[in-house]
Amino acid sequence: MINIYKVSFKNLLRKRTRTVLTIFGIALSAWVLASLLGFNKGYEASLSRDIDNMGFQVLLTAKGCPYEAATLMLKGGTGMRYMSEDVVRQVAAEPEVDGVTPMLMQAIFDPNKGESGGIAAYLGVDPVTFPRMKSFLEFRQGRWFTDPDAMEAVLGYEAAELEQREAGDILLIPEKDIELKVVGVLKRTGTQDDGTIFMPIRTVQTLFNKPGELTGLGIKVRQDADIVAFEEKLYGLPDVQVVSLAQVKQTIMNLVTTARIMVFSIAVIAVLIAMVGVINTILMSVFERYQEIGILKSIGAMPWDIFKLIWIETFILCFLGGLVGTAITFGLSKLTEVLIRNLLPYAPTGSLIQLDARLVIMTLFSIMLIGVISGMYPAWKAARIRPLDAIRSEVA
Amino acid sequence: MKTIRILIACLTLLAFAHPSAHAAVGCDLNDPDRDVARLFPGSTGYKTMYVSIDKKGGDALARQIENRLGDKFQGIFETADVPYTIYEIYKNTDKIGYIHGVNQKGRHGGIQVFLVLDMDGVIRSFYFQKLTSRAAGALRDPGFGKQFEGLTLADFYNYDVASKKTLPPGRVDAIKNPSPDAADDFYASLRATKKNLILMDEFMYGNKYMKYFKGDAP
Amino acid sequence: MNNIAINAENLTKTYSRGIEQIHAVNGVSLAIRAGEFVSVVGPSGSGKTTLINILGCLDNPTSGRLTIDGRGIFGDGRSFSERQLTRIRRELFGYIFQKFYLIPTLTVAENVMLPFTFYRKDGAENNVSRLLDLLGIEKRKNHLPGQLSGGEMQRTAIARALVNDPRILLADEPTGNLDTARSKEIGQVLKELNEQQGITIILVTHNPALAQTAHRTITLHDGNIKV
Repeated sequence: MINIYKVSFKNLLRKRTRTVLTIFGIALSAWVLASLLGFNKGYEASLSRDIDNMGFQVLLTAKGCPYEAATLMLKGGTGMRYMSEDVVRQVAAEPEVDGVTPMLMQAIFDPNKGESGGIAAYLGVDPVTFPRMKSFLEFRQGRWFTDPDAMEAVLGYEAAELEQREAGDILLIPEKDIELKVVGVLKRTGTQDDGTIFMPIRTVQTLFNKPGELTGLGIKVRQDADIVAFEEKLYGLPDVQVVSLAQVKQTIMNLVTTARIMVFSIAVIAVLIAMVGVINTILMSVFERYQEIGILKSIGAMPWDIFKLIWIETFILCFLGGLVGTAITFGLSKLTEVLIRNLLPYAPTGSLIQLDARLVIMTLFSIMLIGVISGMYPAWKAARIRPLDAIRSEVA
Repeated sequence: MKTIRILIACLTLLAFAHPSAHAAVGCDLNDPDRDVARLFPGSTGYKTMYVSIDKKGGDALARQIENRLGDKFQGIFETADVPYTIYEIYKNTDKIGYIHGVNQKGRHGGIQVFLVLDMDGVIRSFYFQKLTSRAAGALRDPGFGKQFEGLTLADFYNYDVASKKTLPPGRVDAIKNPSPDAADDFYASLRATKKNLILMDEFMYGNKYMKYFKGDAP
Repeated sequence: MNNIAINAENLTKTYSRGIEQIHAVNGVSLAIRAGEFVSVVGPSGSGKTTLINILGCLDNPTSGRLTIDGRGIFGDGRSFSERQLTRIRRELFGYIFQKFYLIPTLTVAENVMLPFTFYRKDGAENNVSRLLDLLGIEKRKNHLPGQLSGGEMQRTAIARALVNDPRILLADEPTGNLDTARSKEIGQVLKELNEQQGITIILVTHNPALAQTAHRTITLHDGNIKV
């Protein structure tokens, strides 16, 4: 038997190349849309996880332009700025504070690292408070050091793998030519901890001759405390810089939101362009079939029938385009992720694009909705064709 | 401005992030274009291949390699899934040799031992790409590496990694430890060389040196 | 009055071209009995297509009455919308034209069934195989139009026109795109349809030989019937 869907579908087969190209155009815009929606989700989730994994919500660092500190550290370890240990006592006394952990980062030039050498960094942490604050860190081998003056180290998984160190091995600090005992190797966390060499903070202070000095203080704030008010208090402390990780997360999210809006606009434009392509294609085929449509009316088609016929053609194009586009998104998600990672200045670890059934449905739905709307004009035009016009144009 | 500083502070903290490699770490040349030209003069190009014990023969092969080596795989990093990079060296369209490196645990850090081999499996030269050691100077001396030239797996099958002796005496005896401080890393590099040759024999030479293996079932 | 399928009284169709008034059809009256085979001939511009359009309810006349099967259609100042005309048409008429207007991606059978997509009279589905047989295209029913001869294509169009049991078949220059042999073939088909199935046929044609196959011929000239 015959039905209107079959006729519509077979009408699309009359100009195959044109149909394929139109579907492809829609698929591309569906791909952009789906990737964007997936990226949104993935990025925010990864970012939250990265920041939550830091263990503390507020970080104090020594005052001075962090920009300087960053580049100098990357270039060789001098020119760092320090805070006094007194600040630990001051801050710990605050009522909003749940816990604090002091940190001292030092760097050394390692001639063996990479091509012509590189820096090796050592993070001094407090054996008591640090593991407590970062309780989710798990060990592949061994355990944390306990003696605050011990010549011991705990390595992140990748730091260990690079030097083939395991619990019980010796680690050499180049330049200073000092031996440490590796007491633990952490499991992979997917954060910067993987590449870190941890040591007791007093040991670092002694070895690098920085008694009583810190580069950072991690602060865990009580659940019920007002973080904003607390940070205001901290701004009052001399010679320190307050880095609120909540704020960092917010800042990055703001930047990402801006970027997201931009990309969204581009996606919308891409979708609109594809839609214009669809309208153009269908309209063209309506004009080509002008006489034929008129004759269909002589066969008994009401205007609504013709409307449906053309509308269904649009619908089929958009549905297929949406499907193909979503398939491309899944298939190329790895490639898309590489592309995005190269474009973003900061990309959290973990998967950037999260795709799931809901996303697929949303993309398909959006494409089809736009298809349904844009199909109306050509369908309406077609429905208005009179058989008389078709016949008249036949007579020479 | 504040926003940027905060951002950069965050980036500082994250500056030491290593690129995550979720598989075991392999042993590549730092700059293959430059290193191949330097290590294999006369070559015009190279091709890179990746193999692992895992893919080639699974756990069974891993046990066989241990047997041939005369030592078990050490610790958490020497595993069957470690990827090995083999550089096939070409002069125009002819293959003229190989370059292959292995990771080895040293006393103070990781050691990377690269061997440059000809088409028969003879060592043309020996190269430490990485050596974290107090005695790094002595070991990196060109004189040290020269002692390996001309040796093959036939010689190294005589060398017992566990007892650190050569039985029956052979050319490996002639390789001298340059300094008493370097003992641990010296023996580590002998082990690394033997392992390197065994892997190359397995992956590229079709085990043609197997006849020199004196143990029970290889 | 029974047995008169079409009764037209004083049909006029006037167009304005600038300040000129063109009478394409000028007071034409005729009666066609049920089962008759009538051909309408005349030179180009004589208004035969305009006339057949009105008779076939494809267009409204400017004035005049039209009754089909006793049912008043045009007249008394009534004017119909496209939708209304479509409803009238699909009850009463089947049409074939110079161009076949078959859908190239549908098979012969599907093309014949195409009207069912929009409208189907009760029991009309039984007509399909009967018509395929009658018009000698049963063997080609799964072929696409591209694989048919001109004559076969027109026969498919005829089957399509008849599938919904129309009272009257209107054929506007159906052999215009066919060579002499095929034209004869179609003429024969129409004749047989009329004689054996009793279908009322109005045929517009330039072709005098074809016109002869009808029972009688109406000649138009400048919008009037030439007596």
